[in-house]
Amino acid sequence: MVRLSALVLAAVMLLTGLSRASTPASAQGVNLVVVAHPDVTIHQLTRDTTRAIFAMRQRTWPDGQAVRVFVLNNNHPIHARFAKEQLAVYPHQLQLAWDRMVFSGTGQAPNRVRDQEEMRKRIANTPGAIGYLRREYLDDRVQVISME
Amino acid sequence: MIVSKSFRWSDPRSITAMAAALSLVLSSQARSDEGVLDTLQVHGFLSQALVITDENNFFGPSSENEGSFKFTEIGANASLRPHEDVLLAAQVLSRRAGGDGSDARPALDYGVIDYQILSNQQRTFGIQLGRFKNPFGFYNQTRDVAFTRPSILLPQSIYFDRTRSLGLSADGASVYAEERFNSGIVRFKGGLGTPTTRDLATQLFPPDLDTQVGGETSSIAQLIYEHNNGRLTAAISAADVNLDINLGPSDGELNFQPWILSLQYDMGNWALTGEYAIRNLSLSGSGAIRGSDITGESWYIQYSRRFYDNWQWLIRYDSLVSDISDRSGSEYEMQGLGPAHSRFAEDITMGLQWNLNPRVLLAAEYHHIDGTGWLPLQDNPDPSETERRWNMLLFQLSLRF
Repeated sequence: MVRLSALVLAAVMLLTGLSRASTPASAQGVNLVVVAHPDVTIHQLTRDTTRAIFAMRQRTWPDGQAVRVFVLNNNHPIHARFAKEQLAVYPHQLQLAWDRMVFSGTGQAPNRVRDQEEMRKRIANTPGAIGYLRREYLDDRVQVISME
Repeated sequence: MIVSKSFRWSDPRSITAMAAALSLVLSSQARSDEGVLDTLQVHGFLSQALVITDENNFFGPSSENEGSFKFTEIGANASLRPHEDVLLAAQVLSRRAGGDGSDARPALDYGVIDYQILSNQQRTFGIQLGRFKNPFGFYNQTRDVAFTRPSILLPQSIYFDRTRSLGLSADGASVYAEERFNSGIVRFKGGLGTPTTRDLATQLFPPDLDTQVGGETSSIAQLIYEHNNGRLTAAISAADVNLDINLGPSDGELNFQPWILSLQYDMGNWALTGEYAIRNLSLSGSGAIRGSDITGESWYIQYSRRFYDNWQWLIRYDSLVSDISDRSGSEYEMQGLGPAHSRFAEDITMGLQWNLNPRVLLAAEYHHIDGTGWLPLQDNPDPSETERRWNMLLFQLSLRF
């Protein structure tokens, strides 16, 4: 019992000492947008559906078309910003969600791209594709999906 | 009734099943014009640990010389989407945990056809047929994959090795559903099937008894609520597992009913996790099989903290009581069944993980343990020779692709 109370005390001290937890910001996210293949007929997604799609739990667009998810590497600053600002999760939380699907037979991992040039190219060429880009990288080969 | 059997390369039934799945893939691929092979994914992992103990043995002769290297996990899986609503996925696992080389023979960990019947902005509903992973507590479905564990060893009070194959996977059917609300997401998973019983006889009973164990129809269910985008997760899991036991001329039935309540508060860079489990294990039978009805209790609380992006440390208190009507084990000892300390375990764990890069994970941890409640029988055949208080140090290298 002494060991237990010492442990609880230590945990409480840690919690109070570390309460300056960061909250993912939302306002600066405006120049990062969700993009899709031009033939995708859905033009708007709810935030929850967007999260479910990027977490790989939802495999189709709301109209039934297969969705193909593209992401940058975990340590890419744009990926970290997209995860935190648009999905309100940390990259390591997304990675854990993917690993839990991939290694339990309940889903697949997203497709990785090296940079935003490749992201744009793969999304333009893959039916049902979804990803994200900075506004500077937009052109008419991809469509912007608005998030409510 | 389906008779469960562990997968072997030479097992004709497993090969037939694999061939059937493969031909299904190939035929649907021929019909599809959208490049089904584009959706093929192959992933794998490999973990090697070093286990050092001062007393008692855990996963091999860990208390001798420089410790035990007999804890190795290797897995590979493939998945494919032949149709937008269908996922085919299978994983082969080779795991050695203290045994000689033969327990590392590869086994089919899961192999499913997953049909997602419904998927829209509000909800998802699907069904899995085949060998599916049991949804149990936060970690069971991927318990052998180091990258999904917060520490080298999962809290042993709940995820102990002795009954791991019971909870691991089942042959049958399962359904899953997800419903999205403003405040959060509710998810349900439920399955009906025959539990895999690989190596169970030697995990549950002393290895020198020639016990045969067979799975009977069993069920499992899990309900999860994720509040505020996973900030708070609460889950309840329950199972009803049935087994046939044969010991020479004696027959028996074993019924295992665990419940787990899971809670996690996750701030992203730190998380507080706790699980509480209550397990009823009843055995009835004739002859040499002694009837019993025991309820055990487990719980742990864990604080994990990330730092420098790729590092994490954790501290955990974990407690197991094998029989709540004899918490100290003294009655057990008085009846001459074994030492009192083999009926409980209190484990204080401190761990460190470093993701050197996305494909390499290094981990180290220290356990200070009072009791041998979850110590594997295989590594310690004579419980009277175990020590009550012991310490354990583990190091692990994990790779994945």
